[in-house]
Amino acid sequence: MSHWRREQAERDARIAAGRTHASGKVVPAGRAVDLLEAILRPGDRVCLEGDNQKQADCLARALSLCDPAKVHDLHMVQSGIVLPEHLDIFEQGIAKRLDYSYSGPQGGRIARMLFGGQIELGAVHTYLELFARYFVDLTPQVALIAGVSADREGNLYTGPNTEDTPTVVEATAFKNGVVVAQVNEILDRVPRVDIPGDRIDFVVEADRPFYVEPLFTRDPAAMTETQILMAMMAIKGIYAEYGIRRLNHGIGFGTAAIELLLPTYAEKLGLKGQIATHWALNPHPTLIPAIESGWVRQVHCFGSEVGMDRYIRERPDVFFTGADGSLRSNRAFCQTAGLYACDLFIGSTLQIDLMGHSSTVTQSRVAGFGGAPNMGSDPHGRRHPSDTWMKAGREAQTVGDPALMRGRKLVVQIVETFGDKLVPAFVERLDALELARKIGLELAPVMVYADDVTHIVTEEGIANLLLCRTLDEREQAIRGVAGYTEVGRGRDRAMVESLRARGIVRRPEDLGIEPLDADRSLLAAKSIKDLVHWSGGLYDPPARFRNW
Amino acid sequence: MSERITDPRAASWYEASARARLDGLLDSGSFAEILGPEQRKMSPHLPLFDLPRAFDDGLVIGSGRLDGRPVLVAAQEGRFMGGAFGEVHGAKLVGLLRAALGLKPAAVLILFDTGGVRLQEANAGETAIAEVMRAITEARAAGIPVIGLIGGRAGAYGGGGLIAGTCSRLAVSEGGRISVSGPEVIETNKGAEEFDSRDRALVWRTMGGKHRRLIGGADTFVDDTVAAFREAALALIGRAPAFDLATLEAEQARLERRLADFGECRDATEIWSRLGVNDPAAVPGLTAADFDALVAGLRETGHDAR
Repeated sequence: MSHWRREQAERDARIAAGRTHASGKVVPAGRAVDLLEAILRPGDRVCLEGDNQKQADCLARALSLCDPAKVHDLHMVQSGIVLPEHLDIFEQGIAKRLDYSYSGPQGGRIARMLFGGQIELGAVHTYLELFARYFVDLTPQVALIAGVSADREGNLYTGPNTEDTPTVVEATAFKNGVVVAQVNEILDRVPRVDIPGDRIDFVVEADRPFYVEPLFTRDPAAMTETQILMAMMAIKGIYAEYGIRRLNHGIGFGTAAIELLLPTYAEKLGLKGQIATHWALNPHPTLIPAIESGWVRQVHCFGSEVGMDRYIRERPDVFFTGADGSLRSNRAFCQTAGLYACDLFIGSTLQIDLMGHSSTVTQSRVAGFGGAPNMGSDPHGRRHPSDTWMKAGREAQTVGDPALMRGRKLVVQIVETFGDKLVPAFVERLDALELARKIGLELAPVMVYADDVTHIVTEEGIANLLLCRTLDEREQAIRGVAGYTEVGRGRDRAMVESLRARGIVRRPEDLGIEPLDADRSLLAAKSIKDLVHWSGGLYDPPARFRNW
Repeated sequence: MSERITDPRAASWYEASARARLDGLLDSGSFAEILGPEQRKMSPHLPLFDLPRAFDDGLVIGSGRLDGRPVLVAAQEGRFMGGAFGEVHGAKLVGLLRAALGLKPAAVLILFDTGGVRLQEANAGETAIAEVMRAITEARAAGIPVIGLIGGRAGAYGGGGLIAGTCSRLAVSEGGRISVSGPEVIETNKGAEEFDSRDRALVWRTMGGKHRRLIGGADTFVDDTVAAFREAALALIGRAPAFDLATLEAEQARLERRLADFGECRDATEIWSRLGVNDPAAVPGLTAADFDALVAGLRETGHDAR
């Protein structure tokens, strides 16, 4: 009589119940609801795979159609709250508790439901935290995942958007959980085995291919001269000075502009090979010109991007690809790479306060964290040096024994002083604090904390926060690049000029940049079509990005 | 050290401002502006809406030379209010066209870049559209070709699309679009099932330069450079048709035939297929040279109507 195999016995019972709706492991889409009702128990911890891009949408629809009398009070543990069904199940009583990471498109609704008490919130995580908790105290009992194809044994091909799948399956399958995979098609032999079949218990042939959102495509045609100016300053004032080779970019237009200036502006500065060679990055279409001009040595990806598959397949020296030739992405590994193996993160944000705390939260939306706080933080566990890391460390060190100095990761915020609809990016107090109070979050949703930020780039200049020696200097350095916002106009002019004399605040002219040179003619590609040309016709942009 | 491209003719038409287009289009140094920004003829209506004005009201007009020959030109600035027609903007164009009757230039060139009429001064804008069309027909009747050049970000929509339809000849680039109702307007009124305005490939194959060229809605398809538009303008001036009853009757007959031939098609690719294009799906990806070769082998695309 074993007290040590209770979970296994439960798992066996669930699988036996599920098998009545399956032929071997295979379940037709029409029986998906029956399958879920058979294998789920009230109160289960469930991961319904909702990644940054890939969505187990067929299984999400099936779960939302389950009978709440049979399936209720689930505890959802998933990185992305993206589809309407992800929240419908809370309204229906099928789910009750939520631990998640990112809720981009559902940010407004999730805020209302949290406020209305329809969701019992555990916590909002970064990706790496949630993944870590899968192995400690949020291990799923059932995982509902998505792949491109499977064979009848359950061997799974995830396709280029592998994303979270290996992590979710690892935590579930090896801790007595049940794994159900939806696939677009069932084949005799999959192109490559991303997940071995003995970790997959059921395969549902989906009624239509799973949904992938093109999140990383920025149309060069929409890039402004202000963004180009900021990109020029970042390249000359940060990338060149610190010799940044290993890096991660956010998904905004400012960073996309940097990507498009590498083969033109940065090339003229003689920086090729000196900067931006090794990346932790989704396959951004705007990186194509830099790759084609020989700037990029390699790129490891969190996920993929719609339309980039053929291009990636033809550039295996640059990307991580499988024996079948297609991209192998992996969010957990790439997040770790961005955290520990990159010397710089640069990204945009919605609000920055006087100390440099930043947040993408507005009063009415809880967008979650995703991976940005992992990328945009200084990992105190890092122990390998690099020239970039050591230089930043020297700039930051104020006291103590130089022999005990450690380096610093560069965490750069690149923002226009006024954002969308002329909303100021610099504020006295983050909206995140008000939101946290309103919906009762114990921890204010700060994306990047002030003590992690090293530089702020705006169209007015660069503030180097590493060199600030007092809180007052820090505040004035931030005000000094905040332009005509209230925060910017509240600056102490004399102090900002003295910071400028010390190189803490730098204007375009201090960097030898003529703002009138910030012209769209500098962009290596000015349109999506230019990107297609750069790729030799291999990039196949989605219809909504085409103007031909 | 300037980082910018300095040859104005090498610049992208789509990317260029109205003034940069004129700069590269005309013979170097020949442009003389009429009612320039220093005269500050601005919209009297926009301040009521607390909206910023432009010193030229988004239209640059004047005279210049094209390969030595005198021309009158009007260029819309698509970056100011989407190039939309307001009272001053429209009046400047009407005045230019009427002046042509006395000045007898070799042609009037209209560099379209417009979403149509400015909502904030709609009555004045709509009136201007009608007056412009009348002025164009009068200029054409007096033997002065009016050539439309369409390759800007805003395209030639609304009243701009109507005006384009009265020009002697039109040159269009891939980025250029010609239509009356815009994609969002159609979607709002008829639903996304009828026309999904976010499907840009659909928008372009329905309203874009290649489609307009294939069905004879434009007379020349050009690369997206200022130099290519200059060459096209020169060639089209020489090919301007007569403006008489025979031309109008031919146009009426052509449009009737077009409706009969293609009226039931649900997508532009079906029209292209009926026109004799073997691989309609490949059309959007063709280069200008390959596209020209394709057009040369098709019926319907060349005619003197309009």
